[in-house]
Amino acid sequence: MNFLSLHRKIERHSGLLIFGILVVSSIGGLVQVLPIVLDDSHSAPAAGLAVYSPLELEGRDIYIRESCSTCHTQQVRPLLAEVKRYGPYSRAGEFAYDRPFLWGSKRTGPDLARVGGNYSDAWHHVHLLDPRAVVPASIMPAYPWLAQRDADQGRTIAARMRTLRMLGHPYSDADIAAAPAALEGETELDAVTAYLQSLGRSMQGTPQP
Amino acid sequence: MNYEDRIVTAFTACSVFWAVLGMLAGVYVAAELVWPTIDFGLPGLSFGRLRTLHTTLVLFGFGVSGLVATGLYSVQRTSHVRLFAPGLAWFVLYAWQLTIVLGGASILAGWNAGKEYAELEWPFDLAIAVAWVSFGVVFFGTIARRKMEAIYISNWFYGALIIVVAMLHIVNSLALPATFGKSYSLFAGAQDAVVQWWYGHNAVGFLLTGGFLGMLYYFLPKQAEQPIWSYRLSIVAFWAFVYTYIWAGPHHLHYHSIPEWVQSLGMAMSLILLAPSWATMVNGIMTVSAAAKKLRSDPALKFIVLSLAFYGLATFEGPMLAIKSVNVFSHFTEWTIGHVHSGALGWNALITFGTFYFLVPRLAGAPLYSARLANIHFWLALAGVMLYVLSMWGAGVSQGVLWLSLDKLGEVRFSFNDVMAAMKPYYLLRFIGGLLFLAGAVLMAVNLARTFSGRRTVVVAPPPAHAAKGLT
Amino acid sequence: MPARFSIFSLVKVLFRPKAAFETLAAQEPPATRVFFGFALWIGLLPPLFAYIGTMNFGWRLGVEPVFLPQRTVFAISAAYFVALLLGFLSSAVIARWMAVTYDASQSLGRCFALMAVVGAPLAIGSVIHLYPHAFINLLVLVPTLIWSMYLLYRGLPVVLHTGPNRGMLMASALIAYLLVAAVSLLGVTVALWGSGLGPLIGN
Repeated sequence: MNFLSLHRKIERHSGLLIFGILVVSSIGGLVQVLPIVLDDSHSAPAAGLAVYSPLELEGRDIYIRESCSTCHTQQVRPLLAEVKRYGPYSRAGEFAYDRPFLWGSKRTGPDLARVGGNYSDAWHHVHLLDPRAVVPASIMPAYPWLAQRDADQGRTIAARMRTLRMLGHPYSDADIAAAPAALEGETELDAVTAYLQSLGRSMQGTPQP
Repeated sequence: MNYEDRIVTAFTACSVFWAVLGMLAGVYVAAELVWPTIDFGLPGLSFGRLRTLHTTLVLFGFGVSGLVATGLYSVQRTSHVRLFAPGLAWFVLYAWQLTIVLGGASILAGWNAGKEYAELEWPFDLAIAVAWVSFGVVFFGTIARRKMEAIYISNWFYGALIIVVAMLHIVNSLALPATFGKSYSLFAGAQDAVVQWWYGHNAVGFLLTGGFLGMLYYFLPKQAEQPIWSYRLSIVAFWAFVYTYIWAGPHHLHYHSIPEWVQSLGMAMSLILLAPSWATMVNGIMTVSAAAKKLRSDPALKFIVLSLAFYGLATFEGPMLAIKSVNVFSHFTEWTIGHVHSGALGWNALITFGTFYFLVPRLAGAPLYSARLANIHFWLALAGVMLYVLSMWGAGVSQGVLWLSLDKLGEVRFSFNDVMAAMKPYYLLRFIGGLLFLAGAVLMAVNLARTFSGRRTVVVAPPPAHAAKGLT
Repeated sequence: MPARFSIFSLVKVLFRPKAAFETLAAQEPPATRVFFGFALWIGLLPPLFAYIGTMNFGWRLGVEPVFLPQRTVFAISAAYFVALLLGFLSSAVIARWMAVTYDASQSLGRCFALMAVVGAPLAIGSVIHLYPHAFINLLVLVPTLIWSMYLLYRGLPVVLHTGPNRGMLMASALIAYLLVAAVSLLGVTVALWGSGLGPLIGN
């Protein structure tokens, strides 16, 4: 049977066409994506990687809410200039607790994978509320509402941590029970700052291979 | 029994509406990069949320509504039957548009799943899945009832769009809900990245390329009144396209913390992808060229033919940017943005505009209100997309080269802030390009609305059964 | 106006393109004369301006200006000249090749002349290279480029004696070629720069 007559069959039978498309389009995913998803070594936490604290987790969820990853990457490529500019290149193990990953695809502002500890909390507070007060040429939006809103306004931190625990994040019952109190009195600004300060900390002091 | 065309009109109207609104959001975020304070401290106007709204509206509002409209129009005509389950088709319309409206509002309110081009939270993901499967039922139901023996090529592409996007959407959206408006991805870190770009790249592949090729394969031969140039080439190109595209996703993750073999495989498959992409372009160009002598002057054709030129550019630029030694410069820069828009504006939007200029007079049973306006639209669109693409090339290459420059001592030569500040003029040019393109889209909306308000009742019946053979 | 197509036609091309197209359509200049009498010289302008500008002001990408050694600047300008000539020759030859499909005039001289006319505004606009600030160059050259594209759409059916529709199709096909050629050049340039062949900006 040559290929044209085989195709004559397919194009005359809608079920066969659907089946054909399904099979042919699945192969790539099965060979290339599935092995990565099934191989746990890609999601094994790096030595020294701590799970996000309640305040950091709240900050991370706000970072997602405001789509910060539209402009800030969290991925240092193994290129000389990038390592010089940002620090050690990124390793898969650093992102084990990132759901979803926030590597981004566009670097309108600088990379943040290793920003933790580079600036003081006070600097972050000023910068988030009025970026041009500290970086005159900045085109980052100001986020004045972060200072006006209490962290975890919806009182959902425990529910979120329980969900993450189901996905394998090592939160204990005591961690979850203590979480709402830990966020008491904190603003969203404190939460985002705590998250930014946590970025890249696990690799500090690790020698470059 | 006549063709069910009111649903086509409804989807077309929605698509035009979302085009204008989505591009307006795009122009506004482009302006925010030049004048960062024009969000006035309002969360809903903040860059991150508004940019997410922009991509959601143009992709799922404008793009998908346009694809459903043209898909439902052409599947009836290539199958010689009335739509299967028209009630379900109307359900798709309301469900889809409601999802866009509420989903768009939810993004402005801060609901965000955090995955690029799939930011809508889990309740909307469920709604999308239901509406999409219903669309599939209507589409394949119509094909199953066809009076033609063979399924026409355009329907293979629409079919692939429906099947593959369903698969991508469902897998990539797998998440565990924590609250009504917040869920966490089932995948973490590097694994999540590989899944996301398998989705992200193929949403581009099967929606923005495959779906619109379906549009091309129906409306181009229709407009040229000439059968497709090579049937054999379409078969080979179709299956090669469906097979190869899926592998190319990891070129979005070059030099990232994912295994090297995945990156290299992604790069190799991206290069191979050029062949089926260009085979389709050649097929399209040869089809119009063969009919060149008898073509009537028509604004619709102009848009469709120019869209093929940009299709050629985008499908060449893509594989080129997937080469690691080029990608090292282009990655994370404005070059990516320029590439996306040469495809989205130059190819997707132009072919959709051309198709609408063809479709709406037929749905209305009246001639196009103004060919002159359409001609002005053509030049606004061309000028807009050229300004956009060239300014982003300039910005992207500057960023790529300046970021990686080292001085004599091996230290980075330019500070990030200096390079960022140097981008401002390019952003201004891009804003002007976007504004021109939006102005063209507004002209089109007016032109099509005026055309439709002069409508006469038209009903088109399927041809009698004996005419049904051998058209493909 | 001289009936012969020469460097003097330039003025007419810039101010009365339609008349220039019609003059062209009525004659069939030899390709060699268009090339040596016109294209070569206006093709020399952009690299010349770029050389003078870069030597005097340095490259300005928005950050501090980058000055390069004279030999490097000369090599870049020469490469620029070669790229322009190759672009011109290839698009004229491709236009002639496409002419068969679109039932247009297959005179190589006319194709050369058309490309020269369409490219002329860009060559003149390149005077902005005298101040090689990337953004200001884009600001001037992008509108000029759009004008050139407009000339291509308007002029092609007249000069190559084909119908408006076929002319439109052929112009779009040529634009497709030029877009792909431009992006390839961009890709090759950065890849070469990355492999260390290009100028060392970091000096």
